[in-house]
Amino acid sequence: MSHAPTGLPFARTEVLADGTALVTIGGAWELNQPLPSIVIKGDRAKVVAEGLTDFDSSLPAWLYDNFKNIRQLDISTLPVRLQSLVQMAEKASSDHAQSDHAGLLETFGSWGVESGGSWARAFDHIGHTALGFLKMLVGRAKVNWGDFKLQLQTSGVDALPIVALLGFLTGLIMAYVGLIQLRQVGATVYVANLVSLAMTREMGALMTGIIACGRTSTAYASQLGSMNVSQETDALRALGINPIEYLALPRILAVTLMVPLLAVFATFIGIFGGMIVACAGDLSIEQYLTQAIRAISFKSFLVGFIKSIAFGFIAAWAGCYRGSVAKRSALGVGEAATSAAVLGITFIVIFDAIFAVIFNLFDL
Amino acid sequence: MNDTSDILTCTGLAIGHGKTVIMDRLNLSLAPGKILAIVGPSGCGKSTLMRALGGLDEPLGGKTTLMGVDLAAADGQQRQDILRQSGFLFQGAALFSSLTLRENIEMPMREFLKAPRKDIRQLAEYKLALVGLADAMDKLPSEISGGMAKRAGIARAMALDPAVIFLDEPSAGLDPLSSGRLDELILRLREAYGTTIILVSHEIPSILRTADFCVYLDPDTGTIGGYGPPKGFLQAGNSPKVHAFFTQARFD
Repeated sequence: MSHAPTGLPFARTEVLADGTALVTIGGAWELNQPLPSIVIKGDRAKVVAEGLTDFDSSLPAWLYDNFKNIRQLDISTLPVRLQSLVQMAEKASSDHAQSDHAGLLETFGSWGVESGGSWARAFDHIGHTALGFLKMLVGRAKVNWGDFKLQLQTSGVDALPIVALLGFLTGLIMAYVGLIQLRQVGATVYVANLVSLAMTREMGALMTGIIACGRTSTAYASQLGSMNVSQETDALRALGINPIEYLALPRILAVTLMVPLLAVFATFIGIFGGMIVACAGDLSIEQYLTQAIRAISFKSFLVGFIKSIAFGFIAAWAGCYRGSVAKRSALGVGEAATSAAVLGITFIVIFDAIFAVIFNLFDL
Repeated sequence: MNDTSDILTCTGLAIGHGKTVIMDRLNLSLAPGKILAIVGPSGCGKSTLMRALGGLDEPLGGKTTLMGVDLAAADGQQRQDILRQSGFLFQGAALFSSLTLRENIEMPMREFLKAPRKDIRQLAEYKLALVGLADAMDKLPSEISGGMAKRAGIARAMALDPAVIFLDEPSAGLDPLSSGRLDELILRLREAYGTTIILVSHEIPSILRTADFCVYLDPDTGTIGGYGPPKGFLQAGNSPKVHAFFTQARFD
C-alpha cells in the first residue's frame, strides 16, 4: 500500500462494511516506474480512481494481474478506456501457474523416461538406416545421389588440410615423447616402431574419426535440424519419401567411405611427422623408414582400416540422428549440433575400446 | 494532403529490391490513430513499402517522415528511437523460436524498460491475455498454431505501447472466425491506445472492417492506383481497377 501525491502511481486498499475491498488508484502510471503492491482479502473488490492523471499499459496490466482471481470486480467508475483495456484481457486459466514447477523426484523421473525415449529413438534411427541401406541395395530406396557426390567432396576432400595438420602433429608429438623415454634405455631406433604402429592401428583412425565428429557430425546435425525447423523433412514425408533414405543415407555412405581414406592419409602423414622429429635427433631417414616398414604388418593396417570404417559410420550417423530429432527452434538446432559431436566422440571412444578387446581375442 | 500533425508522411517515395525500382512517386499521409491498409496484387511491393515506411529498409528515393522524424536524415540513434516506438508484425510472425511466448513478449521490455522483473512479467502476461493467449504463455512458437503465432506476434509488436504498429498480412491463413477476432482486436487497440496502424492485407472483408483509408499499389503504372476510404472503392467510380480488385470482378 502506498500513496504518492507527487504524480507517482499509487494504490491503497480499505475494506468496506460489506466485506468488499475498495481499492483507490491514482497518479501517473508509466511502464518505466515500479508499480505499487497491494494485498486484497476476499473475493469482492471495487476499484475507483482518484487523481488518476495518465496511464499506459502498466495500469491495465497491474489491474489484470491483481484482480484476475477476484470473483466480483467492480470497475464501472474507472475511465471507459481503462475499463475496455481490462475487459479485453481474457482471464488466464486458474491452473496455469501450477504447471511450471516439478519436484526433484518428478524431474529425476522425467529425465529417466526422456533418456529411455532418447535411446529408443536412436535404435529406431539405426534400424531405419540399416533398412534403408538394404532397400538401396535392391534399388528400392529413394536416395539423393546428388547429395552423395557433394558430401564426398565436403566430408572428404575438404577435410584433407585439417586431417593432414592434426595427423602430422600427432605423429610429431608421439615421436617427441617416445624419444625422451627411449633415449634413456638407448633404444631410440624404436621410436619409428612406436609412431608407425600407433598411427596405423590407433591414432590415424581415432584422430580422423574425432575430426569427422567435429566437422561433419555437427554440420549434418545443423543441416537436418534446420530442415526440421522449416518443415522440409515433413514435406519429404508428405511426398512419400523417407527422409532417412533421402537425406541420411547419402551422408552416412559418403562419410563411411571417406573417413577410412582420410585415416590412411593421416597415418602416413603422422609417420612422416614422427620422422621429422626422429631424424632431427638421433636417427637417419633410412633407419627410420626401415624400422617403420618392419613394424607395420598387414594385420595392424587392417585393424586401423576396420576401425576407421566404423568411426566414419558413427560420426555420420550421430549427426544425421541428432539432426533428425532436433527441436524446432534455433536453440534446438544448436543443441543438436553439440550433442551430435558429443555422441559421436563418445561412441567412437567406446567402440575403440570394444575393438581393442575383440582384436585382442582374435590375436590381431 | 499533408498536414504537420500527420504521424506518417511520404513524398516521392521510390521502393524496390537492390537497384530495381518497383514502385515510385508514392505520396501518402496518415493522421494519428488512423488505420491504413496497403493493398494490391501479389508482388507489387506492399510489404516493401511497409518496411520502408517503418524505417526497416532504405527506400530508393523520396522522403519519409515518421513521428516527425525524417527517416533519411535521421542518425543511428534517432532511427533506433523511432523503431522502438514502432511495432512490427511480420508475415510469419517471426517469433523467437527458442523462447516461450511470454519470453518473446518480455524480451523487448527487458531491453528497453527499467521496470522490475515482476512488473515486466505482469505486463507480458497482460499483453498475451489481450490477444487471448493467457493459457499458452509457456508454450514455444513451434507448439502453437499459425493463428496463435500471429496473435503472439501482435502482442510482441505492442509490447512497448508503440505509437505506430505495422502489420504484414495479419489475417492471412486464418479461418474467418479467427480473422474476425483479429480485426476486432485491431480496432479495440486503436480505440484504447490511439495507436496508428498500417497493415498490408489481401483480405477485403478484413480491410472493409478495420481500415479508415486504403492505398492501392498498381503494378502496371508502378505507383499508387487509388487512395481513400475502402468502402468508397466498392462503388464503381474513378478507379475501376481498384474497384475490380475490391469486388474481385474481372478487369481487362
